[in-house]
Amino acid sequence: MAKTIYFINGPNLNLLGTREPEIYGSSTLKDIEDRCRAIGARLGLTVVFFQSNHEGAIIDRLHEAINTAQGVVINAAAYTHTSVAIHDALRAYKGYKIELHISNPHLRESFRHVSFVSPVVDAVVAGLGIHGYELVLDVMASELQ
Amino acid sequence: MRAIELTHKILVLNGPGLGDLSDYDGNTYRGLTLEKIRSECSKLCRNLGMELDFRQTEDQDEMFRWIAKDSEGYDGVIINPVGYSRAATVSYALYRSAIQMIAMLKKPVVEVHISNIFSQSAEITQPLHEPVGDMGFVCGLGVQSYLLGIRAIAHRFGLDAAS
Repeated sequence: MAKTIYFINGPNLNLLGTREPEIYGSSTLKDIEDRCRAIGARLGLTVVFFQSNHEGAIIDRLHEAINTAQGVVINAAAYTHTSVAIHDALRAYKGYKIELHISNPHLRESFRHVSFVSPVVDAVVAGLGIHGYELVLDVMASELQ
Repeated sequence: MRAIELTHKILVLNGPGLGDLSDYDGNTYRGLTLEKIRSECSKLCRNLGMELDFRQTEDQDEMFRWIAKDSEGYDGVIINPVGYSRAATVSYALYRSAIQMIAMLKKPVVEVHISNIFSQSAEITQPLHEPVGDMGFVCGLGVQSYLLGIRAIAHRFGLDAAS
């Protein structure tokens, strides 16, 4: 059976392509999703994309992932720096998990320097642009072999 | 067979301690050696049509000379600075100023670490907190941390690995 990877995207990522394109690029989240689905199909992975601006909805998806996904890629966006609840939900998820950011939060404002996500994931990938989504999918494929 | 023309050059720098990984994060990366990392990086660069210069030093001053002086001749730089927040290993101030030099050259840089430096057991170091422009960050993927960094830089130049 094909392994399932959840890409969970946090607040404001629905504005991708229009919000500060100089930082985040001009692709929309739908563009990224389409590309990842195509790559996933080639790698034998089922790719599920999800975006929400609501903390609770993200947590519900992480709980769902416990039983349905072998890997989780989480771009919690601004909740990265505030959410103890997402930290706890990730701690409960035992599959392979990667924290992903389009830009590198460590080079930006000091309020983005702390991540509640980083200590409870296997790996962190940041600042590689939207290409980062495709790169972590390859990593998922090799980790879940 | 026709020799492939290597149009881009990438510099991979490894800081103090990486010469011997035998007791390094043993559970996760047992068996990983710097030679193995070098060989994987080299294989990928060949596949991408990039020339690789892979170095390691136990001397932090040498490391910063490499960053500050040698980066200019390359299209991108991958750095594993190890624990620069620990005064005993590498100086944060020196590292920051070296990175600022690369930023002025407008070269893409990716900082990589073998393990997840944020996991509670690690606490080795912290990422650079400095608005230096174009700097990616990858940790926790073992040798793949390096390979992702290289692929990210190659992608900027329209070079992607054949799959």
